[in-house]
Amino acid sequence: MAVAVMIVAIWWLVAHNGGSGWVQLLGDLVFGVLCIGILGPGLVVGRARVEVRSAPADGVAGWPVVIRVVARTRVRVRPVEPPGDEVFVGPVRHEGAVDHRVTVVPVRRGVHDTVTLDIASAAPFALQWWTRRVQLPLPSSLHVSPRRGRARPPSTSPQEDVGEVREQPRTDMGLPRGARPYVPGDSRRLVHWGATAHAGKLMVRELEQPSAGPVTVDVDLPDDPEEAERVAEGALGTVVQLLDTGAPVLLGTLEPSGPVLAPVTDRRGAGRRLARAVARRSVSGAGAGAGAT
Amino acid sequence: MRALDAIRRANLPGPPENSVRLRIACLGTVLVSIAACASVGEVSRLTAGVAMVLVSLGTLFSHRTRVQPPGWVKVVVAAGAIGAFAWFFHSLTSAEIITTIDSPLGLLLICVLVVHSFHVPSRRDLLFSLAASAGLMAVAGAQAIDLGFGLAVVAWMCFGLWALTEMWTSASGGGRISVAGLLCALAAMSTAAAAVFLVLPAPVVASRVSFLAQAGAGGSVGVPGALAGDSGSPAQLSRAGSPSSPIRVGGYLGFAGSLNTALRGSLATTLVMQVRAERPSYWVGETFDTWNGESWTETQEGSHPLRETSPFVLPVPVGGAPLGQSDLQTFYVADATADLVFHAETADELWFPTSRVFYSDDGTIVSPIGLGSGSIYTVDSQVIAPTPAQLRSDLSTQTLPPQTLAQDGQLPHPYPRVQALARSITAGDTTTYGKVQSLIGWIGAHTHYSIDIPPLPAGADTVDEFLFGNRVGFCEQISTSLAVMLRSLGIPVREAVGYVPGGYDPITDLWQVHADDAHAWVQVWFPGYGWQNFDPTAVVPLSNPSPGATALKDVAGALRRVPWAPVVVIVAGAGLVVLAVRRHRSRPATWAARVARDTERAGRRAGRPRRPAETLAEYAAALDELSEDGSTWGGLASSVEASAYGGREPPPDAQRAMIAEARGGRVRRPAGAGVRD
Repeated sequence: MAVAVMIVAIWWLVAHNGGSGWVQLLGDLVFGVLCIGILGPGLVVGRARVEVRSAPADGVAGWPVVIRVVARTRVRVRPVEPPGDEVFVGPVRHEGAVDHRVTVVPVRRGVHDTVTLDIASAAPFALQWWTRRVQLPLPSSLHVSPRRGRARPPSTSPQEDVGEVREQPRTDMGLPRGARPYVPGDSRRLVHWGATAHAGKLMVRELEQPSAGPVTVDVDLPDDPEEAERVAEGALGTVVQLLDTGAPVLLGTLEPSGPVLAPVTDRRGAGRRLARAVARRSVSGAGAGAGAT
Repeated sequence: MRALDAIRRANLPGPPENSVRLRIACLGTVLVSIAACASVGEVSRLTAGVAMVLVSLGTLFSHRTRVQPPGWVKVVVAAGAIGAFAWFFHSLTSAEIITTIDSPLGLLLICVLVVHSFHVPSRRDLLFSLAASAGLMAVAGAQAIDLGFGLAVVAWMCFGLWALTEMWTSASGGGRISVAGLLCALAAMSTAAAAVFLVLPAPVVASRVSFLAQAGAGGSVGVPGALAGDSGSPAQLSRAGSPSSPIRVGGYLGFAGSLNTALRGSLATTLVMQVRAERPSYWVGETFDTWNGESWTETQEGSHPLRETSPFVLPVPVGGAPLGQSDLQTFYVADATADLVFHAETADELWFPTSRVFYSDDGTIVSPIGLGSGSIYTVDSQVIAPTPAQLRSDLSTQTLPPQTLAQDGQLPHPYPRVQALARSITAGDTTTYGKVQSLIGWIGAHTHYSIDIPPLPAGADTVDEFLFGNRVGFCEQISTSLAVMLRSLGIPVREAVGYVPGGYDPITDLWQVHADDAHAWVQVWFPGYGWQNFDPTAVVPLSNPSPGATALKDVAGALRRVPWAPVVVIVAGAGLVVLAVRRHRSRPATWAARVARDTERAGRRAGRPRRPAETLAEYAAALDELSEDGSTWGGLASSVEASAYGGREPPPDAQRAMIAEARGGRVRRPAGAGVRD
């Protein structure tokens, strides 16, 4: 703006001292154009109405999430929180209000009820960009679960320093209940060669899941956001691995409303619980982490 | 380092601009600015034509090579720009002053635009083209002297605004400005421009770099050096007039060797010349010192030529004032006028398109060529504008040469009645200025102005007839009466003829001098300040003034003084804003309201308006029965009501489809509709 005023001032000075009314008039017109070109976008941005038409309920940290945004005027949108790519939204060539895809990439887990956008415009002359930061409510909360980190084994692992041998849990683990004919899809490891020889056809062991109590994964998030993110990722990895084995899992987290210990049955549920989890603030000195017992 | 980084970032090539419409709009602004330069004579038409072709070719080349411009193009463009600037500075430094209208600045900008047009890959480069075209328009505007240049300005603005809106379209990936938005922007832009135009003071000629002089369409004169009108040839531009013969200089009977005060020509309203000056002045043409009771003549016979090269340094006229304030004036002759070189008193230097001019000791300058349309000359005058207090206390002892003093106090006979009248009027005045003001005041109070009076009878003394007759006359008679009264008191006075300043045009910054601005006034000699202009006619009221006519004239004068162009622009802009706001407010807020409105419109067109107690569904059902094209008004009404009362919004595509259907639907006019029972 200052540059524009300076240009016009110099122009006017030359016109005034040159004695030509046409030059002065042209300078005034250029001034008018610059005024509209520089101040107009502010008016457009101030009056721009942008709303989020739809957004998914779940997302994963570091993975793109597409929300649909509608605007009555053409504006440039840059998601700030969660961050995302710059995109133009708004009608094109006299079209009505149509929604546009805006991709955001949440950096960390969490629950987003709003999305913060920088909306910008240079209308009508593309001479100057004006930006306004707006916080728009999402139609439904966006739960951003942590990434799936490395699973941490249960704390009941054998103590190797005293000679115990660590056995890796196997997905095909179970108690033999009998033998049955092979059907496609059965693991080769389950082939019961003795029964096969006895029956004259390929027989496999029929297993039964051991009855066991639920595994409790207690997530204790540290204050440091980065560290908390790593802990949550590990917790999710552990929970998902446990769920894959068919084990019932109780997930213990600290939510804004207080401690919650509740079963989770699938990855989405675990992700949502971890998205809502907050760091412990009252406990000090204790090591943080996710422990499965 | 930061500055270097900033420069590097600024020089990074921008993304290629793919919008053909933006390129066409920018090309339009550049072509219009070049044409505008040619129209005011800034460059020749040939140069302009070649430049326009090259710029068009360059724009095409730039568009074709926008993705990857050849490396050699940038080198050629840079070399061309450097060469153009070198030529420009050489032109400026090689000439002490610019005396021709072909300013090198316009050619420089055109050269830059031409070479630049071959390397315009990105939007930023196109913006530079727009800015350069603005500069070129300014150069052309500096030479424009009439409102016709406004056409070029309008065309340039149209192309420029188109380019800017296309720039936004391109930058936003297809965003369009609505008509209402564009109108609002235009109205606001016009308002801002008009406000600045009204607030800023008028431009003045203060820069002394351009002293224009150009021969026009006047041709040669019969007797160079003498006032052409005295040759008696009707082909001459000026000559002593008579009531029966045509007068070429706008009907004025002066501007010749004599001024007959018994006659008054019918002055035309044609534009004679335009003057760019630092301040308004009486544009004096010649003066007369000998009065014979009917006509004024100049005693000094002939004028002597000044054989110099332009600019001519003019000698100080007899009785001339000491050096005053410099006043630079440029005269643009619009119509054939006298071969007098009009100027503000007292001319000091003259830029004229000839190798000689003729100069008289009274300060009259005569052109050796006819001054026709297109002639331009520049005069630098030394103007002394003393205050009344200074004139009243003028104690200088300088005197005129005896011969001049005698001639400027000459009277054909004693004028006893005039002398007695003048003495009675100035009885209480001790200074020359006081006497002049008293006489002017008396003339203003006791005489009336009229050009509709019959010629005086042969042999009658103009002053006696005017002062002691019906006291109705025109400027020559009024000023002559003042001159004779002052001479009867022993004060040196001479009669001057020329033009009043004329009307000021704030757009062109030129004083518009018309033929009916021809005027006569007196010049009174003050020892310390030289010849000073006094115009007694200015205080003389019209004869037989009627209240209605006077009021109408005042109103007309006030209306004439209103700067109509900005006022109209402001009013139109405000009106457009009001219209846009009203339209915006009356626009249906939702698609459902829009469909309902269009449904009612369709029904009204068919003569079946919606009844007050009728729901939209009932109304739509009635329209369905009349529908010509099978429009399902009922379906539309159902969707509208579902939206309005049920909150069930159809997808945007369906909304648009329903709006289009409601707008395009036709209803058959029911039998008997519109027929009164």
